Order: sequence, then C-alpha cells, then structure tokens
Amino acid sequence: MTKLAIVELKLLTREPGAMFALLIPLFILVVFGSSIERGDTVLLPMALAIAVGLVGLYLLPTTMATYRERGILRRLSTTPVRPGNLLVVQLLLQFVLALTACALLLAVAGTVLGAHLPTRVLPGVLAFLFGTAAMFAVGLLIAAVAPNGRAANGIGVLLYFPMAYLAGLMQPTDQMPTIVARIGEYTPLGAFRQCLRDVWADAAPSPLLLGVLAAYAVVVSIAAAKYFRWE
Amino acid sequence: MAVIEVNDLRKGYADLTVLDGVSFSVEEGEIFGILGPNGAGKTTTVECVEGLRRPDGGSIRVLGLDPVKDGRKVREQVGVQLQHTQLPENILVWEVLDLYASFYAKPRDWRGLLEEWALTEKRNARFGKLSGGQKQRLFIALALVGNPQVAFLDELTTGLDPQARRTTWELIKRVRASGVTVVLVSHFMDEVEELCDRVAVFDGGRVVAMDTPSGLVDGIDAEHHMRFTVMAGDMVELGGLPGVTGVTRTGNRVVVTGRGDFATAVTAQLARHHVLVSDLRIDKRTLDDAFVALTGRSFDATH
Repeated sequence: MTKLAIVELKLLTREPGAMFALLIPLFILVVFGSSIERGDTVLLPMALAIAVGLVGLYLLPTTMATYRERGILRRLSTTPVRPGNLLVVQLLLQFVLALTACALLLAVAGTVLGAHLPTRVLPGVLAFLFGTAAMFAVGLLIAAVAPNGRAANGIGVLLYFPMAYLAGLMQPTDQMPTIVARIGEYTPLGAFRQCLRDVWADAAPSPLLLGVLAAYAVVVSIAAAKYFRWE
Repeated sequence: MAVIEVNDLRKGYADLTVLDGVSFSVEEGEIFGILGPNGAGKTTTVECVEGLRRPDGGSIRVLGLDPVKDGRKVREQVGVQLQHTQLPENILVWEVLDLYASFYAKPRDWRGLLEEWALTEKRNARFGKLSGGQKQRLFIALALVGNPQVAFLDELTTGLDPQARRTTWELIKRVRASGVTVVLVSHFMDEVEELCDRVAVFDGGRVVAMDTPSGLVDGIDAEHHMRFTVMAGDMVELGGLPGVTGVTRTGNRVVVTGRGDFATAVTAQLARHHVLVSDLRIDKRTLDDAFVALTGRSFDATH
C-alpha cells in the first residue's frame, strides 16, 4: 500500500495535468493580483475555487477513467491486492494535490500580493473540506460514467466552464441576471466559493451552504459508486 | 496431480449463453492450450478460473482452492497476463516490477526477472516508450513476479510480428522449464501446435475435443493429398491400396487422394515396382484440418 502510494505519487508528478492544476490558478492570481487593493477578499477565494475545481473536475476523473480504460484496475484484481486500494490512493493523492495548490495560492497571495487572509482557521478548513468533497464527488461521477479517459477529460472540461460561470468565477455575480446568480449559488462550485467568501469576510460560512456541499458530496458519491464499473 | 480442475462450468449474460458445460483439467508442469475462434468462451473460462468472474454453475478448483471463496490465496499463487491491458504510460519498468512484487507475500526478486527477460537495459525506460515485444516481455515478467505455480497467458502473441512471435514462444517454453504450469489461451493453430502438451478445443461455449496436438491431428479422418512426378518406370495401379480413395494423372503428374496413413503404402508400392518419382509432396495435416473435422466449419472463417 505504501509502495502503491509512492509509485502513484511519482506518476502524478510526471503528469503535465497536475502542473496545470497548480499553475493555472496561480497564473490567474498573479495576473489579476497586480490590480487588487491591499486587503482584497474576492480574488483569493476565486483562485482557490478554481484550483479545487480543476483537480476535482479535470484531473481526478481523467486519471481514474484512464486507469479503467487501460485495464489497470482489472490487472490489479488478478493480484492479491484489491483494485479499490488504487482508487483510495488516487483520491488521497488528488486531495493532497488540491491542498498543495491552495497552500501555494495562500502563500503567494499572503506574502507577495498582500491579499487579506482570514483570521480564523477552522471555518476556512471546514469550507475547504466540504467544497473539496463536493467537487471530488462530481469528479468520481464523471469517472464512473465516462467510457474512457479522453471522454472523462471532455466531460470534465464541458462541466467546468458552465460551473465556473454559475459560480461567478468568470464574471462577477452582481453583473449576472439575478436568477442565474441565485441558481449559481447552489451549484457545488458556487456554494464553495460563497463559503470561502464568507470565511474571507471573517464570518462563519453559512450552514445552509455547507449543508448543500455535504449533500452534493454524499448524493453524488453514492451515484458514482452505483454507476462505477471496474472494467 | 491436477493443478486446475473445471467441471461443467456454465456462464451466461442476459439471454446469451457463453459457457455451456465446460470441463477440463490441467496437470502440473504442462503447457495447456485453450484454442478456439473468438467468441468461443476461452477468455470467459480463464477469467472464471482466475476468479475475475463468478460462474453461474459448475465447479472450479485451482491448486485445490475455490477461486471465488479463497480468492486471495489463489491470487497469491497464480500469475496472469491479460489480453488488452496496459500500464500507465509514465511508469518505469523497474517501478512496475517492484510495485507488483510488493503485492505478493513471497515474490521473486524482480532484478533477476529483468535479466531473464532481457529488460535490464530498459529498467529505467517508461512503459510508453517500449516496443511491442518489450511490453510483452514485461507483461510475462509481471505475471511471474509473484512466484506463481500457474501462469495464465491470454493471446500473448496477437499483434506481434512473426519474428517476435517465435521469440515469445521460446520464452514460454522457458517459463515451463522453470517449473511453472502454463495455461495458454490462443486462436493461433501454429502456436498451440508448437507449444502445448495438451489442448482443449473450444467452440460455441463447449470443449469439443481435448488431446495432444498430434493426437487431435491423427484423430481426424479427413482426406488429404499426395503428389509426385513419375521420372522413370511404368506407373503401377495404386487404386486398390489401403486408404487410397482416388488417383488422378495428368501427364507425369500424379495426385493420390486418401485417408489415414495411405502414403506409406503408396511409396512402398512404387518402390516395389521400381518406379522413380520426384517432387514428392504430402499435404501435412494440421490442427486447422482437425478443427474443421471437429466443428464442421473452417477456423479462419469464424473470426
């Protein structure tokens, strides 16, 4: 199991997609960061939501669907090790990747850009955990229904843009039609960003939105488990 | 001792019957061939024996164990090379061997396997950069890294060029020589004829014959031909010889048709009457003929 985790970690570092998930949000942060005021509370939550969204919707499903497509899960089921171990290891590693991406953003924004960092840690951790769980659940569902890695990649990208739009990551929500903005608030990515904004405003994230994220995480994961095929 | 025993195995999907009462046994130390056209149920059978699929009926014993109930114990002692599986593009040769070795309680030293399968030079190469033959050798090495008693090799040479196929055959013989029982799934007649001690011929989800390759060939009672050119001497009457069913003559060219070992009788008769012939050719009967005789249709036409 340890060896499996080490090898998978090495494979992840050789995957160009992992670099993108780290660098794209950082790039956005730095480009737009030059024009923010000190103590800004909008940009950093946006970049964090983008980072977690990229890992959950793009990297996670592509990796898992590719493993199934290439028969790696099936090959593993002929050994004494269960293929489920590989999925668990992958989930953990992708979680670590999301965490790394966010830590990188926080470090850069906090030091170089002088953006506002929330004073309380616990609400931020809660928002991160619930948001990541919801995004990963969606990623798992994509992995479950996509016939192969390329399709998973395509579905991930196709879902990412509307979700990012609805979440107000492409256009400020106050410039969107009210109804669209309201709907967007209850999408996984939208609820996640909203929670982060609350945290950055040094308020506790709304229990309703955390509940929405938890519901997404549970319901969508169950659907993913139901539709998942090993081969 | 039988390493694998399969009795009346049945498996179907929806209204499609894939296996319709398959029975066979594999003895320790042999190369056992599972031969048949695509869709005959070969792979499904092997997957049931490996414990990847749950049969609908019948019994399977692998090393005395039930592959479903004692799955883990069976998988410890069985090595598998699957059809159509790949590895991650970016994994290194040594990494994947090291990784798979860690799955087993008593693995083989993978460094020795690298050497044995001529992969030492490629130990730091990525899987995606290997040639077809190198990938194939890596898959065999992976099937052996757990130090198994039985190795399943499924359609090992499909997609390889003739040279690489020959090389792979030598490697399979070496696997057996190292004391591992081999179950070889194939739809190539020549491969099975070359390698297998015994063969089960599958057709339509059943085993239609089981014997040594030469036993299968000898067992068929099909007509075949013998051709020669008369060089000197007067042609003698051959029609009455045992097994001969027909003689045609065009100038000096003679074609004799017959069953069984009629060629011996024909050559003896020619020698007795001092008939000198050249260009003597006897159509060799092959497993292809055996297959046609067993199933009533051509092997190639079915896939």
